[in-house]
Amino acid sequence: MSGKHSMNASGGQAAGEPLLSVRDVVQEFVVRQRGTPSRFISGGGGAKAGVVQAVSGVSFDVMPGETLGIVGETGSGKSTLARALLQAPRPKSGQVVFRGTDLTRLRGHKLLQARRHMQFVFQDPFSSLDPKWRARSIVEEPLIAYRTGDRPARRKRVDELLDLVGLDPARYAKRHPRELSGGQAQRVAIARALALSPSLIICDEAVSSLDVLIQAQVLNLFEKLRGEFGLSYLFIAHDLALVKQVSDRVAVMYLGKLCEVGPGDAVYREPLHPYTRALLDSIPSTEPGAKRTAATLKGEPPSPIDPPSGCRFRTRCPRAVEQCALEEPKPRELAPGHLVACHFPLSQPAPAITGAVPAKETVL
Amino acid sequence: MAAPLPDITLATPVPPPLPSLINARRLRSQRLGRALRLWVPVGVLILMLAMCFLLPLVVTLPSATAGNILYNNEPPFSPGHWLGTNVQGVDIFSQLVYGGQVAFEIGVAVTLIGIAIGGTLGVIAGYGSGWVDAVISRVLDILIAFPALVLALVIAEGLGPSEFHVILALSAFGIPAVGRITRGTTLTIRGLPYITAAELSGTRRWRITVRHILPNIVPALVTFLLLGIGVVIILEGALDFLGYGIQSPEPSWGNMIANGQQVLTAQPEYVLIPSLALLITVASLNMLGDALRERWGTQ
Amino acid sequence: MIDALLQVDDLRVTFSVGGREVRAVDGVSFTVDPGRTLAIIGESGSGKTVCCRAIMGLLPTGTAIGGSARLRGAELLGLSDAELRKYRGSDMAMVFQDPARSLNPTMRAGLQITEAIRTHRKVTKREAETQAIELLRLVRIPAAERRFHEYPHQLSGGMRQRVMIAIALACRPKLLIADEATTALDVTTQAQIMELLLELQEQLDMALILISHDLGLAASYADEVLVMYAGKIVEQAPAARLFGSEGAVRMRYTRALLDAIPHLERPAHAELPVVGGRPPDPTALPPGCSFAPRCASAADDCVAKAPALLEHAPGHRWACWHPCENGVAS
Repeated sequence: MSGKHSMNASGGQAAGEPLLSVRDVVQEFVVRQRGTPSRFISGGGGAKAGVVQAVSGVSFDVMPGETLGIVGETGSGKSTLARALLQAPRPKSGQVVFRGTDLTRLRGHKLLQARRHMQFVFQDPFSSLDPKWRARSIVEEPLIAYRTGDRPARRKRVDELLDLVGLDPARYAKRHPRELSGGQAQRVAIARALALSPSLIICDEAVSSLDVLIQAQVLNLFEKLRGEFGLSYLFIAHDLALVKQVSDRVAVMYLGKLCEVGPGDAVYREPLHPYTRALLDSIPSTEPGAKRTAATLKGEPPSPIDPPSGCRFRTRCPRAVEQCALEEPKPRELAPGHLVACHFPLSQPAPAITGAVPAKETVL
Repeated sequence: MAAPLPDITLATPVPPPLPSLINARRLRSQRLGRALRLWVPVGVLILMLAMCFLLPLVVTLPSATAGNILYNNEPPFSPGHWLGTNVQGVDIFSQLVYGGQVAFEIGVAVTLIGIAIGGTLGVIAGYGSGWVDAVISRVLDILIAFPALVLALVIAEGLGPSEFHVILALSAFGIPAVGRITRGTTLTIRGLPYITAAELSGTRRWRITVRHILPNIVPALVTFLLLGIGVVIILEGALDFLGYGIQSPEPSWGNMIANGQQVLTAQPEYVLIPSLALLITVASLNMLGDALRERWGTQ
Repeated sequence: MIDALLQVDDLRVTFSVGGREVRAVDGVSFTVDPGRTLAIIGESGSGKTVCCRAIMGLLPTGTAIGGSARLRGAELLGLSDAELRKYRGSDMAMVFQDPARSLNPTMRAGLQITEAIRTHRKVTKREAETQAIELLRLVRIPAAERRFHEYPHQLSGGMRQRVMIAIALACRPKLLIADEATTALDVTTQAQIMELLLELQEQLDMALILISHDLGLAASYADEVLVMYAGKIVEQAPAARLFGSEGAVRMRYTRALLDAIPHLERPAHAELPVVGGRPPDPTALPPGCSFAPRCASAADDCVAKAPALLEHAPGHRWACWHPCENGVAS
């Protein structure tokens, strides 16, 4: 899986060690009365109305050259998790060990250096590119910031990068984002992410705002870069089919917690967590005879300010019993590389209904 | 053919409106309107500025401070006095021109000071960390809490009347006004992903401020600043009118109005002329601000 | 012979942008039978939204609209706003994509429903309230009486969309147009909303038009599918025929769409069959087939002349000179 010309040294880590090791990351936001979450006490005030528990103890590894997909719906905390990995803002607690160094302990210049090989692609290319800058300057920015080479060398590298993502430098280098289409703008964002030869690229819904055909082009680009440079990806999306397409392993998040992590095929063919099953059932498929028959998930997602006790999915889970409310399930490895956080995973029969208290719907 | 329902008023299709013709005509008139709204105020302002600053260099105007009492109350279009003279015999047009210089000088100076100090504070507050923002915001809040005119009065009274002191006095209003709006726009920009992307790229904060934030807040600010110049000119006129700004016989539009009050019924033009000048200037600034916002908002 | 509920003939919508002409909808014709579901699929710029807005009369004044759209025989195009108001809500209704922006944030949810009711019927405030709560129950909002008094920001995305549907259904329209109504929702919520729509359709004998870019949605929920590209219909067929086991997709663009969406069954890291290029510039449409510049199988006749939309097989129309064989791109 590593590429022919691997552009990234392994850094301060031994072979066989994970590129990224995340342990017990917790991120919270204070929600003020006016409803705007804020990490700082900035000009706007208001009494503290609640704490959004966006990410509550997530742990996983990403190996070099591997793509880990993270799937979650609104409120799952996946985007917050992505930002927390970058320390933008720093998570409330937990460890983020990247290439052997814990990023949560670093500040300022040291953080900048350690984070150099971790890059990010945002969802909306038009708001992640400065509208006043030209494509060339946008891609050059990381090179300037990290002082790689002199001006001619940087220019050459920028042209290389634009070429790599399929944009002819002669035609596109001088353009402003508003002169680019969605797909082209996203390619510029990808070129920028590649500028410093990263080992890991975090894609936060990076193709979700693109048209289907353009999306396929950009996904192929990701694959090509993966093959050429041995890149690892953390691919975050709400579309399970999309995530499975690009990932080696898939992680499913619900309300700030990891439900299930495992090889993409295994998670798809034999999902262990009821939520994963529900997600799979909800996907409208173009396969023949695909008219909806499976039962849809009932109820509404609970509020992340006041998540249910025990297992957070219990209020919508068709298999929940009393134990699910009392005890939070810890991730267990039920098959090689396949972990699930559930008291009664789908590989076991459903818990006996007799004598058990059925789950109540949380009505907001 | 389906049976029509009882409440149908049409049984046959209505022919669609003529396509290209209507649209082309409407489009042309829309564009013309937009161009006019931009270039007419620009033209007027250029004329005013030329009149106040360039004309005296080319044409020798009669004194704006002293006049010959023998030639007082001359009507407009009198020889040697284009707009006539006032009660003391001072040439009205000269007063208008030199008063206009004062108005523009004060308007631009206060705005520039506002940008330099208020703008800087605003950007720092908007992009800086929590406590920096909190401190600067409170300072600006305190300043802006004072009614602008009262504050200006107090300062002008304390320091004594002169053009420079008027500028200082009005800056006490200008700085927090620009500061708050700059902080607001900075906060908006700061939340956008491209700022985060720049931070992730490793760019230092000061460089982000200069190269990312400033270029993107300028369009919003320019509109506000143009309106601000108008407001300052009016405030200055008010100060002069009340006697706390430029004092007679130094010319200013506010003074002209104050002096003309007494003979309002007999010679209304002494009040009307400077008022008209004020109106045209401020209205043009407003229209220009609106037109620019119209253009840049869609970019 | 069932009379069509909605009959659209040669609909054309042209905008003027920057002095140039944009043919957003270029000769679109279709029918919707009562109680049936039609899916209009297309990417951005295909004209699918403009088409339905033209039918509802929601385009800005001065837009050039040609052709005809008849709802139960009554012509809708060219009517004034006041005349259209008679049809909107009572005969046809629309649900939009972003419920956060379609609902008035300063008005309580229930009030927005009663407003819709009282626009079309002469009922007292009390009666309207009762009907509104009934509607909220109809759209499966739990604790309907409580929700009636809540503001939109207090509701989740799925619930807001249910409120939108309740408003749309206030006067039992015969035609409901859902314009990307579930695009902004999570997939589990989308499944719930779609299930709800299907049930309501059966209960109220309502026709449904689904506008989306999601072929999967069309396959799973529609009776008939229209695929649009650059303002024209390029393929039209019953869903069963298009996505059935025969896999009878003909038009190359539809085939490309089907191939490009991620399928769960596909192995990871598989290279997706891509179509290069971008959607055509609407102000400069090529003279031949609009898809020809991007089509791998484009031949000289494709570039020269635009293929007409013809019924080459019963119930299945497509516009392509060199269609796929057996649903596979050759």
